[in-house]
Amino acid sequence: MLKKFTEPFKHEKINLQERDLKGKEGQTTKRAEDWKGTLKRIWRYLAESKVRLILVLIMIFLSSFFALLGPFIVGISIDEFIVDQDTELLTYALMGLAVIYLLHSTAVFLQHFWMVRIAQKTVFTMRTKLFEHLHKLPIPFFDKRKHGELMSRLTNDMENVSNTLNSSVIQIFASVLTLIGTISVMLYLSPLLTLITLMIVPAMVFGMKWITKRTGKLFKAQQKNLGELNGYIQETMSGQRIIKTFSQEDKVIEGFEQRNTELRKAGFWAQTISGFIPKLMNMLNNLSFAIIAGVGGIFALYDMITIGVIVIFAEYARQFTRPLNDLANQFNVLLSAIAGAERVFSIMDEPDEISDEDNQIDLVNVKGDVTFEHVSFSYEKEGNTVKDISFTAAVGETLAFVGPTGAGKTTMISLLSRFYDPDKGTITVDGVDISKVKRESLRKHMAFVLQDSFLFQGTIRENIRYGRLNATDEEVEEAAKLANAHSFISHMADGYDSKIDSEGEGISQGQKQLLSIARALLADPSILVLDEATSSIDTVTELKIQEALQRLMKGRTSFVIAHRLNTIQQADQILVLQEGEVIEKGSHDELLEDQGFYADLYFSQLKREVG
Amino acid sequence: MSVKTVVSFLGPYRFAVFIALTLTLVELTVELVQPLLMAKIIDDGIMQEDLSVVMLWGSVMVGFSLIAFAAGITNSFYAAHVSQNTGYDLRSKLFGKVQSFAFSNFSQFPTSSLMTRMTNDVNQIQNTIFMSLRIMLRAPLLVIGSVVMALFVNVQLALILVLTIPILVVFLLWLMRKAGKLFKAVQARVDRVNNVVQENLTAIRLIKSFIRRNHESRRFTSASNDLRVKTVKALRLIETTMPVILLVMNGSIMAVLWFGSIGVNTGGASVGEVVAIINYVTRMTGALSIFSMIIIIFSRARASSERIADVLEADVNLKDADDQQTPPLITDGDIQFDDVSFRYPGTTRNVLEGLSFRAKPGERVAVLGATGSGKTSMFQLIPRLYDIDHGTIRIDGQDVRKIKLKYLRRMIGYVPQEAMLFTGSIEENMLWGKEDASKDEIEQALTDAQIHDTIVELPKGSDTVIGQRGVNLSGGQKQRLSIARALIRKPKILLFDDSTSALDVKTEKKLLDALKSYSCTTIMITQKMSTTMNADQILLMEEGKIVARGTHDELLKTSALYQKIFESQFGKEGMVHVKKIH
Repeated sequence: MLKKFTEPFKHEKINLQERDLKGKEGQTTKRAEDWKGTLKRIWRYLAESKVRLILVLIMIFLSSFFALLGPFIVGISIDEFIVDQDTELLTYALMGLAVIYLLHSTAVFLQHFWMVRIAQKTVFTMRTKLFEHLHKLPIPFFDKRKHGELMSRLTNDMENVSNTLNSSVIQIFASVLTLIGTISVMLYLSPLLTLITLMIVPAMVFGMKWITKRTGKLFKAQQKNLGELNGYIQETMSGQRIIKTFSQEDKVIEGFEQRNTELRKAGFWAQTISGFIPKLMNMLNNLSFAIIAGVGGIFALYDMITIGVIVIFAEYARQFTRPLNDLANQFNVLLSAIAGAERVFSIMDEPDEISDEDNQIDLVNVKGDVTFEHVSFSYEKEGNTVKDISFTAAVGETLAFVGPTGAGKTTMISLLSRFYDPDKGTITVDGVDISKVKRESLRKHMAFVLQDSFLFQGTIRENIRYGRLNATDEEVEEAAKLANAHSFISHMADGYDSKIDSEGEGISQGQKQLLSIARALLADPSILVLDEATSSIDTVTELKIQEALQRLMKGRTSFVIAHRLNTIQQADQILVLQEGEVIEKGSHDELLEDQGFYADLYFSQLKREVG
Repeated sequence: MSVKTVVSFLGPYRFAVFIALTLTLVELTVELVQPLLMAKIIDDGIMQEDLSVVMLWGSVMVGFSLIAFAAGITNSFYAAHVSQNTGYDLRSKLFGKVQSFAFSNFSQFPTSSLMTRMTNDVNQIQNTIFMSLRIMLRAPLLVIGSVVMALFVNVQLALILVLTIPILVVFLLWLMRKAGKLFKAVQARVDRVNNVVQENLTAIRLIKSFIRRNHESRRFTSASNDLRVKTVKALRLIETTMPVILLVMNGSIMAVLWFGSIGVNTGGASVGEVVAIINYVTRMTGALSIFSMIIIIFSRARASSERIADVLEADVNLKDADDQQTPPLITDGDIQFDDVSFRYPGTTRNVLEGLSFRAKPGERVAVLGATGSGKTSMFQLIPRLYDIDHGTIRIDGQDVRKIKLKYLRRMIGYVPQEAMLFTGSIEENMLWGKEDASKDEIEQALTDAQIHDTIVELPKGSDTVIGQRGVNLSGGQKQRLSIARALIRKPKILLFDDSTSALDVKTEKKLLDALKSYSCTTIMITQKMSTTMNADQILLMEEGKIVARGTHDELLKTSALYQKIFESQFGKEGMVHVKKIH
């Protein structure tokens, strides 16, 4: 029983870095500036709907005005018409009231009506900007982050911003308006008492500081933990097949519990402490009333003030704290929005790979002459993934990379497409250093069949058309036929319009590769890159595609990675890579004659069979 | 129904809920006493110029507000405790449920949607609970209190209020129902946005290399715009609450004025009573304005509850059978398919048709066939990722449907086509195969999978952290790690789904040699002849059927298709060469 009482106070404390919490003067101001910066940025988005925002403001003014006017007329009606039994005037007054009430409701309706639109437009713009920015970020950025964590920023964090904008803007404006109004009246009634009433302001500021210093961080921690949880969910969902077959459900549930607990911890403290605000305001409110009554009483005794003023004043003091209370509450909501927005902006502030190339070259026509000159590169900046690679692929040549796994074959292609830039050396296309060429302009001339063949949710047709968006249906089918995909597609229930769902159920890995090839065929590039394009396709089908690919590669510079050596025999040049270095180079026949690594590799197949 | 499921999660925290509500009652009482105290201070103290009264009641008031403050702070703890724990439980339960899903459930709930439900939807409910425990009681109590007080003042005039309340209640209920539906649509749009983002992140290299940034932006914008439109629609409906409440309540003020005037005329009411009742109406309006907020969070929570309940109540159609005997451990790895037919749930075409074969303990079986001939589909049936529509699959003579999933899968080492590794160190990834694996076991498995040498050379060895998709490893390295992960289990059945495609022939040979030390039945899907040559049995598949079987030499003689495959890999010369030998 006692345990149930104490449970809520036994939540583990969250470590918010002692140093940050206590904070030196310098740190706190920096933190405040941080908020200001974030708020300013949100404001900039809001300000895009300036006209509507002004309309909302006007409506807030009007509704406040009508809200005051109504009771005023009610008062007159009672005092003058009901007491005097003047039915005719009462009828007029009621008619007037009806109009005022209607206008009041209309003003309230309109301010929300417009504000919802403004808020959602702002959220929409921010979301779109974030998404577009994501696409401008370089590949290494994505290597380091979990997908689910990034996804959380686009949904959960944006949700925080959205919730706040919907309600807070109106609330804040209305509160400020009432605050100004009441303070003016209070000043008019008694500057001295006003001053005394305002004495609670420092206490309020102090309390708010104590709370927000914590909640600001806690909200951030909560959003971060939520993002991490999301990342974990995403990863375990995409690894379901492994989890199930290895019956590791318990293990992932345990991992989930861990992150879930972290989230609960941050969530508990964020919610608890932010819940203090209205309570604090309420208490201060009552205190101020007691102070006014006490001090006012003393003043009245010495005739410094009339009793009537104290009574009215006490009433206003009450009104004075209500908007303050609202403001304090909104401030809290705002903090949670800021926590979300900060995470959104932090991605937007990641340097993108597009704008840093403003004055770089556009490649217009590419013949397809590719040269690597002493290119070295490593992913982790320690050790070399590829070392001092040099070669030239002349226009129309086919170049194959061969070598054991981890030799750096895919890395070469990543460098050519500028997913990464080399640490040393240069890569040129038609004699132009590609590090001086805009990435998209470079990729425009290339078509890829990547190792992981990915299909989007949608129809088969849409997926093939991804290679060239304006391709006609006939062209799509033509490409599918060339890639040997046509027959299995026509076997499907809806043919080219068959839907592919997120799990890709019912489509085999090999069929996915066929579709990827069709997609690349449609693109019609100057440079063609095939990275293990046929690895999951059976060899008979592969042979058929090979013909199509040969035809396609004619006149184009092509790069091919394959483990099945028979698929690259026709290549003009074969580069044998080992541990990031070119150890052999030449045509199939030349390399066989050399009796080196390649010949070894090639014969190992036949030899074993024959032997 | 579905909302109830979610509400039932509050059960364990009944006590804390009770305390939180009691505390709000304390706060409310203090709040209601406050005006009386004020009146006392003004009437008996200030009016009478009696400072001691002011001081006395002033300090009582301060005392009361301190009590309210303490109650409020404590309430914050209890309310957060309930809401965060409920949220936690919901997430855990959801995740646990999803882990028990069969694959057919996943096509019903795509990953992106499950993610939204576990985070976004649970958040909505969490916030609702917290708010409820703090303000929910307050608004209705204030409204009811005001009506009761008004009835005491003047029954006839108060009847007007008694009449308006049902109108408002009906309106609010209608609104909540309608808004609930709209918010459900909103959440579905969040799913879609999530989905596009997920696809884009997974396919970022593809999108970049095809320069489809703008195309994807358009797709995203359309999803995001849809979300915006639906949100605006839902919120706009909700935001009519306030103006309508104002209109109704103000209307009743007019009615009170009108009938009050008549009452004063006929002596049925006094002016003072009219004033008092109007005062109560104003108070009610204030309390009702909280309703606008309550309606928003409640209708959102309703939509979210339904979405959560959808998952929790989803039928998992692939479960352990009820009539299970004591765990029949798989000791031999004897696999038998008997006239097995299978189609993916929700489709009309059989992908496997009358499949029969047997893999005896310790045998190595190679499965060969064209793309889409049903090899992987057949594989997935062995660890029972799907249930079959016809026939039986037996392992060690026991129908797989009768074996506890845990026991069945524990004895299977599965290496999928796409090497999926998890974020964490190499060692952690190995522990997926066997939780309590020793360092030696890990090393042995890595060595057998021909990846140990590579790992030793890494600066951090097996502590090297690999990314979400194992990005800093090459395709072949990932594949070998995924093989090691299966080997470490020392399984009785080893399934290789084209898992050696990225391995060069030499490495593959070493791997196959190392496998000999494992006493298990091995089935390998492969494209490579080099793999099939040493197999005890080769199954040749075409369009969901086994069209030929036998050893390499047998098939080379009897099967035209096998010859064709052989030819495709070794060329005509190879074929001629072989024929010469035979």
